[in-house]
Amino acid sequence: MRILLIEDDQSAAKYLEKGLAESGHIVDYAADGEDGLHLALTGKYDVLVVDRMLPKRDGLSIIRMLRADKNKTPVLVLSALGEVDDRVDGLRAGGDDYLVKPYAFVELLARLDALVRRGRERDDSGHLRVADLELDLVKHKVVRAGRVIHLQPKELRLLEYLMRHAGQVITRTMLLEQVWDFQFDPRTSVIDTQISRLRAKIDKGFSRSLLHTIRGVGYKLDESA
Amino acid sequence: MNLHRLFHTTAIRLALRYALLYALLVTVGLGVLYWATSRYVDAQLAVGLKQELERLTEIDRRSGRKHLIDAIQAERYSGSENRRFYLLLGTDGQKLAGGLLDWPPGFVADKQVRNVWIEDDLIPLRMPDKDGYWPMVATRLSGGERLLVAQSVRQAEDLQEFILGTMAAILAVSIGLALTMGWLLGRELLLRIDAINAIARQVSQGNLSRRITLSGQDDEFDELAKHLNMMLERIEKLLMGMRQVTDNIAHDLRRPLARVRNRIEVTLMEAREPGEYRRVLRETLTDSNELMATFTALLEIAQAEAGSFRGQWGTVDLSGLLVELGELYQDDAEARHKHLELQIESGLTVQGSRHLLAQAISNLLDNAIKYTGDDGVIALKALMNTNRIVVSLCDNGPGIPADQRQKVFERFVRLESDRSTPGNGLGLSLVKAVADLHKVHLELKDLHPGLCVELQFMS
Repeated sequence: MRILLIEDDQSAAKYLEKGLAESGHIVDYAADGEDGLHLALTGKYDVLVVDRMLPKRDGLSIIRMLRADKNKTPVLVLSALGEVDDRVDGLRAGGDDYLVKPYAFVELLARLDALVRRGRERDDSGHLRVADLELDLVKHKVVRAGRVIHLQPKELRLLEYLMRHAGQVITRTMLLEQVWDFQFDPRTSVIDTQISRLRAKIDKGFSRSLLHTIRGVGYKLDESA
Repeated sequence: MNLHRLFHTTAIRLALRYALLYALLVTVGLGVLYWATSRYVDAQLAVGLKQELERLTEIDRRSGRKHLIDAIQAERYSGSENRRFYLLLGTDGQKLAGGLLDWPPGFVADKQVRNVWIEDDLIPLRMPDKDGYWPMVATRLSGGERLLVAQSVRQAEDLQEFILGTMAAILAVSIGLALTMGWLLGRELLLRIDAINAIARQVSQGNLSRRITLSGQDDEFDELAKHLNMMLERIEKLLMGMRQVTDNIAHDLRRPLARVRNRIEVTLMEAREPGEYRRVLRETLTDSNELMATFTALLEIAQAEAGSFRGQWGTVDLSGLLVELGELYQDDAEARHKHLELQIESGLTVQGSRHLLAQAISNLLDNAIKYTGDDGVIALKALMNTNRIVVSLCDNGPGIPADQRQKVFERFVRLESDRSTPGNGLGLSLVKAVADLHKVHLELKDLHPGLCVELQFMS
């Protein structure tokens, strides 16, 4: 995907640019708010990575200008300001996600992916499908290869999120935010336990496993691997 | 005390204003009194003059002219204590008797009392009386002679002078009193303000432990002092917290930083296998993640302690939050062969930050699961106890020795027995900070064996 990176910390930007390019993305780079806004308004990008504090024009004002211009390109805000209020400010300005520095590069990558792909929608009959796994969002029913699987409400929400983002890497913090609405880092094993429980229900006894652990990053529900 | 400052105090300004107002009131009051008194005196004089004229006319009518002249002479030489002056003129205008040298020009003998200007040349030289408007009355006797009785105003003037003098004295005394009161009041206020200022100066110079002494009068100054003291208390606590954070950072962040640095330095000393570089970098990444977690926790604690929140304070569905967290950790506990029981009363809500409360409860759950042995039993309960929400987390783990119970809330404090388990010693510090922020009374209880952490929401 085409990514516009607006970040004034040149050495951080260099590594970010390199990492994104090596992950197969095309990156344009601006070092200050004015250049960034100009590029964002004239170029065509799939996603914007905007640092909150920039010379000449701050990150939030860039987002406001874009939104005022009816530009709906998803924006991920990078910030050294990490309090919950700052996050709320960032999202209120029109940002779609907020990542506090320092962050893990894989986290950024996973979130950009989630922003651009937006997740798949249910089909006309209200179903989400990944391979032979089927989730009926209306009846809250899960069926895999004709076998009915019973899930707890939380497990259902977890599965729904994973299925909507099938094929994408989802990090633990993303799951915590999206499924549990918690914005903190609990011990990683808490989420791992939830995933293994879900895995035991949807993968156990089937020849192909769908729910994969991506070491050091998170999880992926995928039909291909 | 500096006089210039004294005159700038509110008290002295008020006192001056009141002194002025008071003086005005006294002047008006005394003026009215003076006016009434003068009128009364004038009326008394007029009555006296008429009676005297009456008496003399009577003598003339009963006993004849000779006796009248005698009576007038007698009055004249009696020393004129009441300072009356007489004049009896014959039909030809010849003076027959009396002290007054001549008939006041234009005065009509019609028995009416009038004030008439008397020149000095009408008054005998040996008399001390002076010119002025004198009340007088005159009549025409049966033989056509004219008899006049006049009252020297000296007496009335004396009275007026006396009244005016008294008025001035009263005025002076009352203004003096008002000023003295203002001065005393202003001095009292200034003394107390000065005491507060002195403390404030010492505090701003860095002596944060100073507090304002209360006068014990429980007045508005004590109120102010109390609030200022509370403010100082908070500032001191925050500063001490900050100092502690700095110390802690120095102690506990330097070590891992040194480790990272040394590892990189040693690795760079000579060329190595690519696998070696990968291993070192991975170790460094793990260390930096740990550093990050510690750093985030420290900031979070500082934020909770400072109580600087804008948007995220609100009504929190505590029951919902506890159930959600409880269920999240229940599975985790089972996976580690421990049992977490939940007894959450429904419908409990508190005012606060959902994010911080969740973080604090999750720290407590983390600890409980981490420190109970296999087959450990942990119970998370929340209930309404006499209008207070009580959340408790009890386990049957090793507990915390009594002498360590306060210390565990300090930053980076870890029990000697826990050195081998992972952790940064910040979990309970955050719990404490969040509890303080939410006015939660935090208590550690011994279950022999086991530990109960009790959170009582005080508001």
